[in-house]
Amino acid sequence: MSIRVEGLPVADAHRAIDAAFEEIAAVHRLMSFHEVTSDVSRLNAHGDRLPVAVHSWTLDVLRWALCFSLLSDGCFDASVGAELVDWRLLPTPPGAVRRPEGSWRDIEVRPDGKVQFHRPLWIDLGGIAKGYAVDRATECLRARGTSFSVVNAGGDIRVTGRHAEPIGLDTGPDTQFTDARPVIELKEGSIASSSGHRQRRWHRGRRCGPHVDGARRTPAATDRFVCVIAEQCVVADALTKVVMAKGADCAALLGHFGSSAHIHDPGSGWRHLETALEAE
Amino acid sequence: MRSRFYFLPLASFVLPGGPAYATVYLSVEQAQALMFPGATFQPDSRTLTNEQAKAIEHTSGVNVRSKQLKLWRVSTGGWFIIDEVVGKHEFIPFALGLDDSGALKAIEILEYREAYGGQIRETDWRKQFVGKQPGTKLQLDKSIRNISGATLSCKHITDGVNRLLATYEIAIKESASRP
Repeated sequence: MSIRVEGLPVADAHRAIDAAFEEIAAVHRLMSFHEVTSDVSRLNAHGDRLPVAVHSWTLDVLRWALCFSLLSDGCFDASVGAELVDWRLLPTPPGAVRRPEGSWRDIEVRPDGKVQFHRPLWIDLGGIAKGYAVDRATECLRARGTSFSVVNAGGDIRVTGRHAEPIGLDTGPDTQFTDARPVIELKEGSIASSSGHRQRRWHRGRRCGPHVDGARRTPAATDRFVCVIAEQCVVADALTKVVMAKGADCAALLGHFGSSAHIHDPGSGWRHLETALEAE
Repeated sequence: MRSRFYFLPLASFVLPGGPAYATVYLSVEQAQALMFPGATFQPDSRTLTNEQAKAIEHTSGVNVRSKQLKLWRVSTGGWFIIDEVVGKHEFIPFALGLDDSGALKAIEILEYREAYGGQIRETDWRKQFVGKQPGTKLQLDKSIRNISGATLSCKHITDGVNRLLATYEIAIKESASRP
């Protein structure tokens, strides 16, 4: 994780970066699947029995998640925590009695700001919380007067200000570029990439990675590399999951957010998905 | 928002690490080749004595953390040193090239693992060190342009250079005429 800034006197730069790191840490505390006291864990534990009060940031992220689910016909689905537990990519939540069978449609953000699940669910916000944290950190730096910043949370990156930032793409061990590396040069935008190749494992004869097609409840292709470029990092993060599952069928969805994607599949090489809106 | 996709020859520059980034490290061999193209390198590592370490600390004003000096003689003249300095959370290994008068020829950051301060990798900032003679004491803001947001790393690299220039005077120079 790294943050770089320009345009501030040294002492202010240090304070701004510390504050931005604290935003990221706070998002993690609220939304980690692994922390028992997080909003996510509290929801997974008893969100189906009574409405749960959560932090406004968690509400933000849940609203984003529901928006992505609606627009992707459920391909993006925060309730895939259940599948990730099946495939041993996440631990079983403590005290869990039964494996839940619900979907994103069972998540309700109530008018009073509390959240209720209409069926038991295990939600995992890891798919977008990191992007959201990068956005929050970026806003924090901008509010403190930086002229340029790069926030990088494990590959989810947002660049703001006067420079274009070159970003190398790590497409994994199966795609060796022996003399040249693919690079995205990014100005005033965000990028998120798939990292499925690093977490592949076998489950019942099927290769599974951390990206799930929420509508089919099956693992998305683990040989594919995807990166999505969007203005906001939460959008880049979420759309990566959908493009992993649906590939070139995502052009309209990408266009809706003014974003684009680069996809690499073994045997097919690189494809660039963009619509006229983003190309402007 | 603007983005451009292209292919870049490897080892062009160091980028921060993570799944969408691969950190491109400069190996010791790559740093050697960059600084002294075509030369061969003879290891000449040595351990500083207590007296030498004290003298270096006194001359440079910088603490000597380790008495191990990772040193190579360069076949075309000069010296190549691998050292590291402490950033806010991590070590920053770097390579220093000296010409045969002990003047600083080049400095390369090998690996950058730090919460912030990536700017020290930029060529312009590193160029400021080239040509500094032993006996020169570098000072931030006076002879070295500081970089906003990277102060801890800038200071530590500046200290590291000061320490190694003093190390040349005290522990390397007298062996220069040896075969």
